[in-house]
Amino acid sequence: MSDTPNIILRANDVENIRDFDVYVENGGYEALKKSLEMGRDEVINVVKASNLRGRGGAGFPAGIKWSFIPKNEPIKYVCVNADESETGTFKDRLIMETNPHQLIEGALIAAYAIGAKAVYIYLRGEFWDVAHDLDERIAAAREAGFIGENIQDSGWDCEVYTHLGAGAYICGEETALLNSLEGLLGQPRVRPPFPANKGGGLYKEPTVVNNVETLANVPWIINNGADAYKAIGTEQSSGTKLYCVSGHVKNPGVFELPFTTTFRELLYDICGGPRNEGTSFKAMLPSGGSGPIVPLTDEVLDTRMSYEDTAKLGTIIGSASLIIMDDTVDITWVASKVTKFFKHESCGKCTPCREGTYWLDKVIDRIMAGEGTPKDVELIANVANNMQGATLCALGDFAANPIIHTIKQFPDDFAKHVQGDTEMAVAGD
Amino acid sequence: MAIPVKDDTKLVTVKIDDKEYQVPAGANLVDLAKWYADNDIPVFCYHPKLEPVGMCRMCLVELGSIMRDRETGDVVLDDNGEPTVRWFPKLQTACTQTASDGMVVRTNTEAVDETRENVLEFLLTSHPLDCPICDKGGECPLQNLTMEHGPQESRMIYSDKMHLQKHVPLGDLIFLDRERCIQCARCVRFQDELVGDAVLGFHERGRRLQIITSSDPGFDTYFSGNTTDICPVGALTTADFRFGARPWEMTEIPSISPWDAAGENISLSMRLDRDFGGRAMIKRVMPRQNEYVNELWISDKTRFGHHFTRSLDRLVEPMVSFGDKLTDQSWNDAYKAAVTALEGASGDVAAIAGGAISNEDLWELRQLVEGLGGSRLGAWPPTHGGADLVAEVGVGQDTNLKELGAGDAILVVASDLEEEVPIWRLRLKRAQDRGAYLVVANARPTRMEEFALDTQRNDKPVEGAAVRYAPGEAAAAISDLKSSNKDVYDRLADATNLVVVAGADGLDLDGNKALMQACANLLIETDHVGKANNGLMSPIPGPNGMGLHYLGYTPEVTQDIVANPPKVLIVAQAEPAEDDPTATEWLSKVDTVITLSLFPDRTTSYASIVLPIQSFAERDGTFVNGERRVQRFYTAQGPLGEAVPAWKILTTIREKLGQGRAKLSAAAVMLEITKNVDVFAEMRYKNLSQVTRQFPEIGGDDLYYGGTAYQNRGGLGIQIPSAADSGKVKAGKVASVKATKASKGELIALPITELYNRSNAFMPSGLVHARVAVPYVTLSSSDADDLGLVDGDLVEVSFEGGAVRVRATVGDVPAGVALLPQHLTDEPTPIVPTVVTLSKIAQPVLA
Repeated sequence: MSDTPNIILRANDVENIRDFDVYVENGGYEALKKSLEMGRDEVINVVKASNLRGRGGAGFPAGIKWSFIPKNEPIKYVCVNADESETGTFKDRLIMETNPHQLIEGALIAAYAIGAKAVYIYLRGEFWDVAHDLDERIAAAREAGFIGENIQDSGWDCEVYTHLGAGAYICGEETALLNSLEGLLGQPRVRPPFPANKGGGLYKEPTVVNNVETLANVPWIINNGADAYKAIGTEQSSGTKLYCVSGHVKNPGVFELPFTTTFRELLYDICGGPRNEGTSFKAMLPSGGSGPIVPLTDEVLDTRMSYEDTAKLGTIIGSASLIIMDDTVDITWVASKVTKFFKHESCGKCTPCREGTYWLDKVIDRIMAGEGTPKDVELIANVANNMQGATLCALGDFAANPIIHTIKQFPDDFAKHVQGDTEMAVAGD
Repeated sequence: MAIPVKDDTKLVTVKIDDKEYQVPAGANLVDLAKWYADNDIPVFCYHPKLEPVGMCRMCLVELGSIMRDRETGDVVLDDNGEPTVRWFPKLQTACTQTASDGMVVRTNTEAVDETRENVLEFLLTSHPLDCPICDKGGECPLQNLTMEHGPQESRMIYSDKMHLQKHVPLGDLIFLDRERCIQCARCVRFQDELVGDAVLGFHERGRRLQIITSSDPGFDTYFSGNTTDICPVGALTTADFRFGARPWEMTEIPSISPWDAAGENISLSMRLDRDFGGRAMIKRVMPRQNEYVNELWISDKTRFGHHFTRSLDRLVEPMVSFGDKLTDQSWNDAYKAAVTALEGASGDVAAIAGGAISNEDLWELRQLVEGLGGSRLGAWPPTHGGADLVAEVGVGQDTNLKELGAGDAILVVASDLEEEVPIWRLRLKRAQDRGAYLVVANARPTRMEEFALDTQRNDKPVEGAAVRYAPGEAAAAISDLKSSNKDVYDRLADATNLVVVAGADGLDLDGNKALMQACANLLIETDHVGKANNGLMSPIPGPNGMGLHYLGYTPEVTQDIVANPPKVLIVAQAEPAEDDPTATEWLSKVDTVITLSLFPDRTTSYASIVLPIQSFAERDGTFVNGERRVQRFYTAQGPLGEAVPAWKILTTIREKLGQGRAKLSAAAVMLEITKNVDVFAEMRYKNLSQVTRQFPEIGGDDLYYGGTAYQNRGGLGIQIPSAADSGKVKAGKVASVKATKASKGELIALPITELYNRSNAFMPSGLVHARVAVPYVTLSSSDADDLGLVDGDLVEVSFEGGAVRVRATVGDVPAGVALLPQHLTDEPTPIVPTVVTLSKIAQPVLA
């Protein structure tokens, strides 16, 4: 583990790496220069070969996404998804606060690769301070000729803009993000056409939407080559990942690790195990509120935190936002909290999600109040099941997960409530 | 019949529930399943006239495609030799799918059934159970689909339901019930996509998502009522009808809008009603589908302006003046007086008819006048000429404005279509959305000009140009277009199809006639006549402006009558003295004025015989619309008082004059017309009431799909061929026009049209009063400066024959002219460009 190079956080110990000059002194913007020499196709080929997968949660290979952009279209865009709204996720903010230029550089390389002349960094509304800081970093890079007209005498022009959302989880969904960016209501669009298609992207033009962390990997990949990147991680999950750990561990935080790392290594060796003496790990939401909950059994703990290994557990690594719960936590309460979150964040565009989240919340409130019956548990399991697969975007599926999987994995917690036992400890005590 | 698509669309094979269909590539799956397979995929948010959004999730189906080998392109067969189908792992929304070769759809599986039930259960969780008092109950897509696909019982506890405001006025006309709303966005999308007045939107998110209006006044558009038709629940209701009746209590009577040249097909929802003495009353006006004319839409004026048919202000008894005062008389005495007057005229009899009178009336009136030896038949108002040119080079047979699109062009000149013929403006704006090049030429700004200047709409580029000409110079602007504005001319000339709409906005009769000729010449020169989707249209006032022409009534004769008043003048459903300040002068020179009128008005006060006629709702008849389509309307309401259809009054007088036996029905009159007027040869009532299958199919069992616009059971009408349709036409000479000149200190008032106004027929519809503009005059800032006027000043506008007091507004108009809307003031204002003087009135100071 220790011999694996940091990629994203490689320069975080360099003082003032946020500053343009320091970043350049430490090899910054070399990857962009190299890309300009390599040519667009070669850049896409390298990123494709590296098997860099999208870090926003879906894990779609970035190079393949870039290659979907039609070459003959005159107008194309790159949108950086910095909406980072998933519960328990705080990695993109770290990148933007500590080493913003690697994001800007990565985004510029992506823009160059697809031939875009504008990059929009879409940040959640609460990141206004981050956005203001980014604006200054962008200005510095522009001053130095890495942004603007005729970048590094390549004949290619590109501008980078930041844009603040108004505080909606759904705007992390790429098509809702595009709507919001266009000044429309933050609601997802019907696909196809996909953002990469003509008619589906920003202002209907072909658009690549990539997560902050995804793009932050790109300069390293260009500098070190696809093979070096592929050498890290597992077969299907190349490179390293920023894991956000919160909840009942001694040392929560963001940690960059290769995908070969197991949950046990992260939670015990790095995070120091359960926070409080006399407690043990009970459950984990490995991908914030949206992924299926899993009990922290030995089998789970010894699983590698890769896309393919977590899939075998019936969950996802997603954005790697590990919310850890010890045995004092009432999982019904967790289901209720996460359901409230999704009820609050459902955009309301499609029926099952809009009505389902409201309904689930009503019933689970009843259960939490000790007024529920075993039938109510069956009801919410069924309602959640009916939502799944019927909605316009993934939020509906995410909203159903906390109900379906908490009931599946922790039926006893629910049983206690419907028997009338509400005297349960709650998290955060 | 196929779903109407472009000729070059290739057919593809689509399999729906194990049966194969040949359908046009790119056809929407919901549409094609319904049209070809009679398979009703349930929908809420999808509407065949709107872009699909896939929101409601009601139309989820199993979707797959036949697998083909990537290299050879051959169909991959399974072990049984059947084509292998690659299925989507999840159900897909049918509304967002378009036909492609090898598409396979299943709509009858358990998964689909379950999903439909689930989506309905979700929709009903917070939907109130107030169907028994809901206007939509009985014709409600949600109700019907719940009966068909929904769960039998609710698992949602009643007290868990979300409760929201139930009477939210979105404006004066439309109320929103937030509880009933299922957030399908049909209303929002209708306003955005179709109308171009984006005054509705969503506010908030999740279950709090709600419809709001962003305009002031609320829901500010001329088309708001249509949203209540396409609303798939009872969330949007009209202030006019809400809580007024249940759908099943009403009888639908096909009719035609009595307002303008579009000839919108409507359905009058009739019920025996205590508010009308227990007699059949118009409870509401609904659109009736005619894809050639108004598709599924009607303007708010048509929908809400029906109250005049039972207005207490209407004439309900004949009146005769034997000395100096009109008194109520029996029909017998009135007929006697009329016969005496007509017989005493020694042939010096003339008639003036308005644009809202039916062909049957016009025919009997003409027979009467001609039978007495008269020949002068005038059309009112004498402002719009060129009906003869519309008859010659009007839009070709089978024209349908919804077929105009990319490669085509539209020229709108001297017309404020939004105010004059709203449905044409709606459909022509849609044509521009589809890619047609829109040119708007006028001496002043109009709404249509704004559209023409748009470069983008709904994320798609649109094209157009605006041409401003000096006031009165419309004809010259079109004649000289080739030299003055070659780019625009070339676009029009080179267009695949070209439709020209030419009006009389800011022109007098000569100016309008010259303009019409210039437009006809443009069409002829550029070979855009005698074929579908090409030719000339004109917003001649009233629903039967073209009928006046075909039955021999002209504005030129009206001018002659004005100049040389006859002994006896019959004024048929026209209100010259209400419209025109100079009318009193010439009307008083006529010995005997006989009017056939709906209302007592300034004109009837000059009459010695006033005969009450029935409105369009009380009788049968036909109108010819601006696209020369002859359309029938049917008797809906019983007669008001002793009012009689005009044709019947006239045929009775004719009998009494010894001109043959009176006819007993409007159909009999039309039969006579068909035998005597060539262009009407085919227009027997039976033929006019024919209906062919229309896409999209709406009404009846299909109301979940198209809304509550009514299925057409009254006939699509028949278009009179233009002269160009049947042979060559030649360009004519454009007469030079004498401009109206003003001296120093004077302005030239250009009469303009306001859709909502204070005319006698519109006033009884009180609901719309708040939307009628405060009387105003618009002048340029330089003229305002010269006259010492500022925005909002009260001014007196004086002209020959009268003066009106109105508010001054300063706007984008050329110096030297003032826009003076008609029918906003109690007193008439000029109907043609007229020299006026403006003087400021001291504002009363409130103590």
